[in-house]
Amino acid sequence: MKKYLKIIWNGISPSNPVLILAIGLCSVIAVTNSVKNALLMSFAFSFVLIASEIIISALRKAIPNEIRVPIFVVVIATFTTIAALLARAYFSSIYEAIKLYILLVVVNCIIIGRAEAFAYKNPVIDSLFDGIGMSIGYSWVILAIAAVRELFGNGTIAGLQVFPSAYKPALVMILPPAGFLVIGVLVGWLETTLKKKEAKK
Amino acid sequence: MNKIMKLTLVLGLIGAISGGTLAGVYKFTAPVIKAQDAKELQAGLSEVFPGNYEFKKLEIKLKSPDPAIQIGDVYAVKSGKNVIGAILKVSSPGDQAPIVMLVGVKKDGRISGVKILQSLETPGLGANASNPHYYVNKEKKITFLDQFKNKKVTDPFVPKKDVIAITGATITSTAVSKGVKIAGEVAYSYFKKGGGS
Repeated sequence: MKKYLKIIWNGISPSNPVLILAIGLCSVIAVTNSVKNALLMSFAFSFVLIASEIIISALRKAIPNEIRVPIFVVVIATFTTIAALLARAYFSSIYEAIKLYILLVVVNCIIIGRAEAFAYKNPVIDSLFDGIGMSIGYSWVILAIAAVRELFGNGTIAGLQVFPSAYKPALVMILPPAGFLVIGVLVGWLETTLKKKEAKK
Repeated sequence: MNKIMKLTLVLGLIGAISGGTLAGVYKFTAPVIKAQDAKELQAGLSEVFPGNYEFKKLEIKLKSPDPAIQIGDVYAVKSGKNVIGAILKVSSPGDQAPIVMLVGVKKDGRISGVKILQSLETPGLGANASNPHYYVNKEKKITFLDQFKNKKVTDPFVPKKDVIAITGATITSTAVSKGVKIAGEVAYSYFKKGGGS
């Protein structure tokens, strides 16, 4: 059990896909201008990542080494399409706003990276936990960025007014550049925390 | 040769399973998506033409006098058997991507309402065109789109003249105004020629 908790924790902090591995940043910046968008993206991302890791790990002995990447892409594309169809059917208003980024989950380097680096080499249960850990790691980061950007850029969090309406929103926060600003601050904070921890050891 | 056959077979098999799964999911979600689209369209139509009317899609193509602005679907608005107006889907070039909107036109040549369906304007500036809490007239709580209600299609529709522009978003304001004006004119001349009666 301890091993699995470690795999999950690995995704949340020490190997956080966004803050430490710094991959898949394009969609992170695009969907984090509001909490609602980030939430739907988290669901779509987690579903595709966890499902793809399980299937790829289960098939890992049957997948010939030479054509593993095309097979990863087919598996990931299948789950992305399923996620897109479900989102379109049940969350159509949010889906309209971020459909491009949901479809682009197909080429999200976090997913193909985890398929190659983890699921292809580890048993199904381990891959399931890696998927869960990476998903939590991705989700908490984009939700945190989205909350900060929406709060300062629009005075709201998930559409609820937080700052009084007299507050004049800082427009830059919901424009793409602020995505980099907020990610930069988070990376700095996580790196220093991890370094301090290391020094203590 | 043997190896290539094996690789092809494995990839083909996985592709087939994937295709089968997707066909199943599509079959399951297609009716929900279709119903959702129809519901959204109905809601959009009654929003730009308030009241208890029937909407009927017309199989006609109306030509726009401005090549940059395109006119798509046309719906007749009916009260019983009488046509009392029309709703046009127009697309007008916005800041980054076309602004697609529904424009309702009454038979007497006045705009009944405007709704933006798709746009990619700058958040906080041009995107305020479709923001229900952004008022161009704060005292009367009139949004940017509200101001077109009951406007005559023969008016000039020029921002900062007879249309209140969105602060910092002249391109968006002009694009929407132009689109509404053209939709209005096209529909009005269609009525005058006896269309829809």
